[in-house]
Amino acid sequence: MDDKSVGKHIKFCKRHLYLLPSHHQDKDPNRLAIAFYSLTGIELLRKPVSDEFQYSVDWLRSCYLEIADHSGFAISSIRNANDLTSLNLPNTLFGLVCLLLLKDHEFFESKLNRTTLCEFVSSCQLPNGSFTSFLDKCGCPSKIDSHDLRFCYIAVSILYLAGCRSESDFAQYIDVSKLVQFIMARQCSIGGFGEWNEPHGGYTSCALSALSLLGKIQALSSLDRHNTLHWLVNRQISNLGASIEQESNDDFDSDDSGGFNGRENKLADTCYAFWCLNSLSIIEPTQWRQLVDISMIKDYLRNQTQNTVIGGFAKNDQDDPDIYHSALGIAALKLIEDEINGVLCIPNSIIDDFELL
Amino acid sequence: MDQYDYSDVQRVSVGSGLENELCAIMYTDEYKELISIFVGLLQQNEVSERAFAVTTAVIENAAALYTAWNYRFEIGTALFQDQDRWEKELDWLDEFTLNNPKNYQIWSYRQAVISQQQKPQFVRDLPILDLMIEDDTKNYHVWSYRKWSVQFFKDWSHELDFVNKYIDRDVYNNSAWTHRAFYLQNIDPTEHESIFDAEISYCFEKISMAPQNVSPWNYLRFIYGSFKNNEFDARLVEFASSFIGTVLEVGTDSNSVAPHVRSSFALELLADIYAKRDSNKAKIAYQALADTWDPIRKHYWNLRIKQL
Repeated sequence: MDDKSVGKHIKFCKRHLYLLPSHHQDKDPNRLAIAFYSLTGIELLRKPVSDEFQYSVDWLRSCYLEIADHSGFAISSIRNANDLTSLNLPNTLFGLVCLLLLKDHEFFESKLNRTTLCEFVSSCQLPNGSFTSFLDKCGCPSKIDSHDLRFCYIAVSILYLAGCRSESDFAQYIDVSKLVQFIMARQCSIGGFGEWNEPHGGYTSCALSALSLLGKIQALSSLDRHNTLHWLVNRQISNLGASIEQESNDDFDSDDSGGFNGRENKLADTCYAFWCLNSLSIIEPTQWRQLVDISMIKDYLRNQTQNTVIGGFAKNDQDDPDIYHSALGIAALKLIEDEINGVLCIPNSIIDDFELL
Repeated sequence: MDQYDYSDVQRVSVGSGLENELCAIMYTDEYKELISIFVGLLQQNEVSERAFAVTTAVIENAAALYTAWNYRFEIGTALFQDQDRWEKELDWLDEFTLNNPKNYQIWSYRQAVISQQQKPQFVRDLPILDLMIEDDTKNYHVWSYRKWSVQFFKDWSHELDFVNKYIDRDVYNNSAWTHRAFYLQNIDPTEHESIFDAEISYCFEKISMAPQNVSPWNYLRFIYGSFKNNEFDARLVEFASSFIGTVLEVGTDSNSVAPHVRSSFALELLADIYAKRDSNKAKIAYQALADTWDPIRKHYWNLRIKQL
């Protein structure tokens, strides 16, 4: 990326951190997510965020609540309820990473209660090993929440940030073998991971990242690795060779060439560049960049989904840019350049600062 | 909310009260008032019709506010003795679902409502599921929910017609093909002895319409892997060979008429089959993928050659 477009992307990300008009009210529950994507995007563009946004540390800390032997991050607008059901796992991960990005060492050294944080994660685990993302009033996994690979990954990632490294560290709070069983049961016969045997790029990244953080990648047999590698490299869309024989496929666009989709016969989407490349880098840590066409994915992101007028990245070559696809488009490019830890989705500058590896 | 009196509810202030927030939203006065009532009731854990009405308003304003969904369900579970109320709840949820198809909470909330009903009805769910898939034929959440439903109600009788409809509409719909695999895996094969051969014929027909379509090729691999012990027979080899021109014909040199491959998936399947029987032929096939028919993955195909 040239300096001019980097400047535009930084501006695009920053716009999401300032006061948003009231028609964004429906995004009130997702403010920590928006902050996470924006700060991550800016930090990855080598514009360290910790000085400029230091002023927001008090607010981020205010979203962290300790309630009834549990702790985590709540939706800011309802924090004063001081209610257990206001905490959830995604907000907790986003809140923690925002404070890491702002280099708030004091929070991690003296404000964060690691025990109650891990107890919150622990309480979200279901008997089948998976996790819901929030609790009910009684402190049990909420009956109305889903329990899928996203929350498995987020739960493990929070425990990792709380200091869990070895299996016995994790096992203090969660049933590791049940969790690994749950993840492995979502492996699809054709490769990849997903619900009900339909593999999905996002779930695949969650499954592999969780296994990686747990030190359980060896749960995959060589056949499993083979299948998932095959499935992943096939997510890169091509308009060469026999691929052009798809005139009747409404979800094939030859302009998508080089991009990644998240499932078979779907259009390319910026975010799957990150989810698929991250997955590949876990399966084939030494040679993943040789197994797909790296220059074509870079070209796809730069020429098709990057917005060179207002900055940011869109989902595809049609839509307007949004903060989620911007952060993940930037993250995909930085993963290629080895400037982000894809498994934790944290820039290497921050990984080093907190000695997270 | 209009029908209830909230004047006695102790309002709780909204947010941190700090000046320097990130992603602050210019809340309308109505939203602030609504949230301050919601938080006040939540704090008291009030279980009442008026609290239930507040959760409706909160969810309609901020659909991702999971705390409101949870509170709503807890109130409902405590208050609704009458099954009609849960029916009404499903009516409300249907409407909400149609207006918020991408919301994350709708499907798991629906599962919770249906799971606690005394006499839930699958036919009650079918129209909304059909509408949602009509609207977005590859919606992962809806297809997943449908599979959950079928298992929950143990009713497989609608599924074959359902997938046929969506495969007929778009032969490239991968969700429909994986749903077909799910169906096949869950019916009793002893009652349907001829079904696997019929399914293979079905695949052949659909592949012939659009050979460069990975979904039915994957489905074929699924049938051979799950029910035929991966014993790829002459019928399959012959069928796949019909899409690869003369690529594997020994003695054809590069000066002759260029072979035309209409399906890289056919060539790949043959390469995989030959990898176990005739590694020279497998090598030619993978090489053809790397060089000509799927060059974006040339390094990957070369790796496969090395592994032979």
